[in-house]
This record gives sequence, structure tokens and C-alpha cells, in this order.
Amino acid sequence: MPARPLGVPLALVLATALVLTLFPIFWIVMTAIKPPTDWNAVPAIWVPAEPTLVNFKTLFDAEAIREYGVGGVSQSATAAVGGSILASVVATALSVLIGLLAAIGLSRYGNAGRATPLVILSARMFPPAAIAVPFVIIFSAINLIDTYVGLIAIYVAITLPFSTWMLKSFVDDVPREIEEAEMIDGRSRLMAHLTVTIPLIRGGLFSTTLFIFILNWSEFLFALVLSYSSINTIPVQLAKYVTAMAGTLYGVQAALAVVAMVPLVVFGFLIQKHLARGMTFGAIKR
Amino acid sequence: MGVAATMERRDVLELDKLSKSFGSLLALDSLDLVVPVGSLTVILGPAGAGKTTSLRLIAGLETPTSGSIRIAGRDVTDLPTNKRDVAMIFDNLALYPNKTGFENIANPLRVAGVRDPDLSERVNRMAGLLQIGHILDREPRTMSGGERQRVAFGRAFVREPALFLLDEPLSSLDAMLRLELRAELKRLQRERGYSLVMATPDFTEALALADEVIFLCEGRVHQGAPPQVLYDKPADIRTARFVGTPEINICPADYEPGEGGRIRCAGAVLAAPPMFLKEFEDKATRFQAGIRPEDIIVRGPEAGNVVGKVIDLEPHGLKSTVVVEVGDRVLRVSLGANASVAPKMDDAVSVEIASERLHAFDYETGIRMF
Repeated sequence: MPARPLGVPLALVLATALVLTLFPIFWIVMTAIKPPTDWNAVPAIWVPAEPTLVNFKTLFDAEAIREYGVGGVSQSATAAVGGSILASVVATALSVLIGLLAAIGLSRYGNAGRATPLVILSARMFPPAAIAVPFVIIFSAINLIDTYVGLIAIYVAITLPFSTWMLKSFVDDVPREIEEAEMIDGRSRLMAHLTVTIPLIRGGLFSTTLFIFILNWSEFLFALVLSYSSINTIPVQLAKYVTAMAGTLYGVQAALAVVAMVPLVVFGFLIQKHLARGMTFGAIKR
Repeated sequence: MGVAATMERRDVLELDKLSKSFGSLLALDSLDLVVPVGSLTVILGPAGAGKTTSLRLIAGLETPTSGSIRIAGRDVTDLPTNKRDVAMIFDNLALYPNKTGFENIANPLRVAGVRDPDLSERVNRMAGLLQIGHILDREPRTMSGGERQRVAFGRAFVREPALFLLDEPLSSLDAMLRLELRAELKRLQRERGYSLVMATPDFTEALALADEVIFLCEGRVHQGAPPQVLYDKPADIRTARFVGTPEINICPADYEPGEGGRIRCAGAVLAAPPMFLKEFEDKATRFQAGIRPEDIIVRGPEAGNVVGKVIDLEPHGLKSTVVVEVGDRVLRVSLGANASVAPKMDDAVSVEIASERLHAFDYETGIRMF
């Protein structure tokens, strides 16, 4: 579609949406570089006069955090970042891989029961808080509390419905005749999925991966109830920056939030060009 | 044994009571079909007749409910698609959208392990034959409908499987292109001795291409015969109606013995042709008469005793169709370029039925009587 100048009303709506979306990010980034005296200043300081990296230093330095007094947090954020990366990457990879198999199965061979896709989704129909407690009981019985295996297992379980549904819609968009043509050309059914179906839903795979990664990366409730001392993630760590002496450490929290944003932004930019749809245009006549 | 083996190798495809149900729907009911090597068989039928299902069963893309399939003398009923040695052109083409024209055509060769320079040579030769050399480096989305169709042809014909399956390969092309590609298809098949099974809802296409036509309707074979036989001796009313335009006239008729035998039909009294005398003898018989529109002659109102009124006119260039109301019957009549009259709307005309070309169908079952 050729670019067309925006009308004034539409431009206003877009500008408003942009401000509403970007303002919290602006505020977080600014707070992350404010010295402690500016965190709670009244009236608010929008842009610090003397930007500092002290909050980032505090994050990763166990000594520095103690200066704020003993409170909910005594560890550096290093373990939390590592834990988040481990849990999110592994859980996302597993969820997308299993979801892909399920999506192809449901889309192409799904005549076992029409309700199956809905049943998969039903796990998401409860508020997570409602199933958190049963999970804790079950996991403690099988010794998965406070382990990354347990956290990853639960992340896969709660994101699988999303990855399955999203990927299924992408697989549904690929005309099955293209796979059949590949079989006619001499490939087995399995190979046809590998050489035709998966390359054609590449954009969908990337966007699903990003979406599932965001879900896992920002998950708080299960990480909180399943972790004691051996495992930690960024959202759990974020909630710990409350101390008896200094109150909430807003600047340090903001610094960790900025750190947490980095991989998502980088990943998003990297896959941007793959997110376009309409991959199958021209394959079939309509 | 030697003789039997030779006989067997001459048929590239043998279907034995092939049936397919989808749930409670019987899509294909006991299809028997033998396709000799080097021949072109057309499966003709309206939408939903089971044409595509038949081709998909032969290709192994569907599993038959019962019956068996032999390709080149080998039972392939339980073999997967890629082991059956067939090529297929899908009715929606199903090109690989992310591959160039060259790669689309090269794909079956690549899968089979053919390498350059042999690969390029074969693809380029096929592209030359189909006159698509200039679009080989383009992706399907930038091609015209005709170019895509040719790429699909190329992908199928670049290798030499035992059998080609074509599912309405010329549908949704404009008329000129359709004729052009139809001629090309025929030439390829003749020159190379390919064995083809093609599905189409278009009788003129079947007439132009087929050695043998199978007329399929609601999953059941009504008739299998060379195309001209299908037209001249349709097996039942269903077939007669589907084959030929304008549609055949069907009206109840009575055979009356005596005085050399007479047939009363659409207000006319006709002398019974010898076939009727031989068949019905002295039994008065009710039947359904089938009268092809070109077997009726229209003249001025004074020229005959069966007079009707023109209620519709449909010009088709050289020919035209005239619809005449005779009593409570409506007859479609084909007028050739050299017709003696040029009737206008509401004109009174007389009609004369060529009784020796009358088709007789059983009154109840609609099956051809002789």
C-alpha cells in the first residue's frame, strides 16, 4: 500500500496513543538514572539534573544494596537475571516446540475430537491465582518446589495453550495442498511438514516465540509461590526492593526494569521483518 | 503367465470397487476404472460428484474406505503418496509461494536427488516447452494466472511418473488461454505418450481431450465411454442432460403400435423409427423421450402441424438457441447459421422433430432403453 499522509484527526488519535504507551517507559528510564534524593521528590522531577548509574551499580553489587539497610532484599540481582534467562528461554523453547507439534497435529490431523483445541484452552480459563495453590501442593509432593525444573514445567504448562492456538492459526493459513504437492513431489508426510509447513509459518513462529517469551519473562505469581532461596527471577526480585529504613527503592527497581526490557526490545527489532503476514500469497488461485 | 504379464503392463491404472465415505457421506461409490498406458481419461461430473476425491484417492492423499488401486501393475492401496509414482496438478495449483518459478519446477527433481547440470537442463527444457523461460526467477505472487498455471504444469511434467493426475487444471483461466493451454496439454500428452487422468466439469473440454470419459455424479459412475458415445448414446437422463449444450429436451412420450407404429411426444405425432418397432413391437409403451436441440427443425407456422410460440432467444454467434412453447411443453432448439427462418420473440413457428434421432429412456428409472 502506498504511504498516504495522515488526516489530522487520525494523527491526533495516534499521537495520544503513543504518549499513553510511551510515558511509563519514559518515567521508568528517567527514574533509573535518578540519584536517591530525586526518586520521591515533590514536585516530580521529570528529567534528573545529574543523571547517575548508581542504581545499576546497586543492582549487581551485594555490598551496595546493604547501604539501604536490611529489608526484603539482600542479594544482588545477578541471580534473578540469570534465573529469568534460564527459565524463560528454556520454557519458551519447549512451549513453542510442543505447541508447534500440537498445532500441526490439530490443524492437519485433528479429527479425533472437535473440542480438543477448546479443552487445551480451558486451562487458561481460571485465574492463575486459583491454580497456584494446588500447584504448590502438587509440586511440593514431587519435590519440584524451588527448582528451575519445576518453574519451567509450570511455564510450559501455562503458555502451551497460547502457543498451540497461535501456531494453529498460522498452520491453518497454509493451504494443505502445498504440503500435498510436496508429497506428490516425493517427500514423506513428515518431511513435507519440515520442508514446506514450517518455513511458510516462519513469521508466525517468530511472533509466537516473542509473545510466549514475554509471558514467561514477566511472570510473577508462580515464580513467587514456587521460589524460596534456590531460584529467583526478575519480577520476584523487583518486588523485594522494599527496605525498613529507606522504603521502596524506586530507582533500583526502575534500573532492574530497564535491564529487563533490553532483551525484549532487541529481540523485537531482530524479528521485525519476519512479522509480516501474507507469506502464502500467490500459492493458490482463488 | 507371459501373456498375462504383458496384458497387465498395458494398463497404468486399475481401480477396483474404490469407495470413500466421509462420515455418513458416500463421496465415491464403488468406482471401477482401467486406464491404458498413453491414454487420456477424463472424469467428468458436476461439482461435488467425487472427481477430486477420486484423484486424491489415486494419489494417496486420501485413504479409501474400501477397494483397491493398482498403478503400473503394482498394488499401491496402502502405499504413501511419495511411493506411488504419480504427479498431480491441483485445482488451486498449490505452488510453493516462497520459491521461484525455477525452484518450483525443480522441486520434484531435487527431491529425487537430481543434481546440476542435469537439473538445470531439464528445468530449462521444460520451461522452454511451456514458454515460461522469462519468469523462472520470479516468485508466484508476481506471476499472472496463466504463468502460474504453466509453472504448475512444469512442476508436474518435469519428471516422468507412471501417471499424471490433473484436477480441473484449466478452470478459472480466461477462455483464450484455456484453449491455448488445452492444446498444449494435448500436444504434450500425444508427443510423450503420457498417461493422464483429468477431472473436469466441462464436457467440451472432455470432448476435445479425452480418449475415454467417465461420467460421475453423486459419487456413482453413470457411464464410461469415448466422449462421442457419451453424447450419441447417453446411458441415462442424468448423463444426457449433463453432456451437450443447450441441454437436451426430455419429455414424456407414448409409443402406439399399429399403422407402422407411432410416437406421441410434445404435441407431435411421429412415425416410429425401426428401432422402436423392433424394441416395443405391439406393446403400447410410455417412456421419456430425449430430443437434442439440434434434432429439431424450426420452420414458418404454415410449414407444419405442430405450432408453437417463441418465448426466448439466445444468440451464440453463428448458432442460436430458440425456446419454443408447444402446448404445455417447452422445447429448446438449436438454430444453425443456415437455418431457413430467423424467428423473433413471440413469433409463431412450427417444429419438426427428427424422430430417427430420438433417445428413449425408461419412464421410471431414466435409464436408456436401447
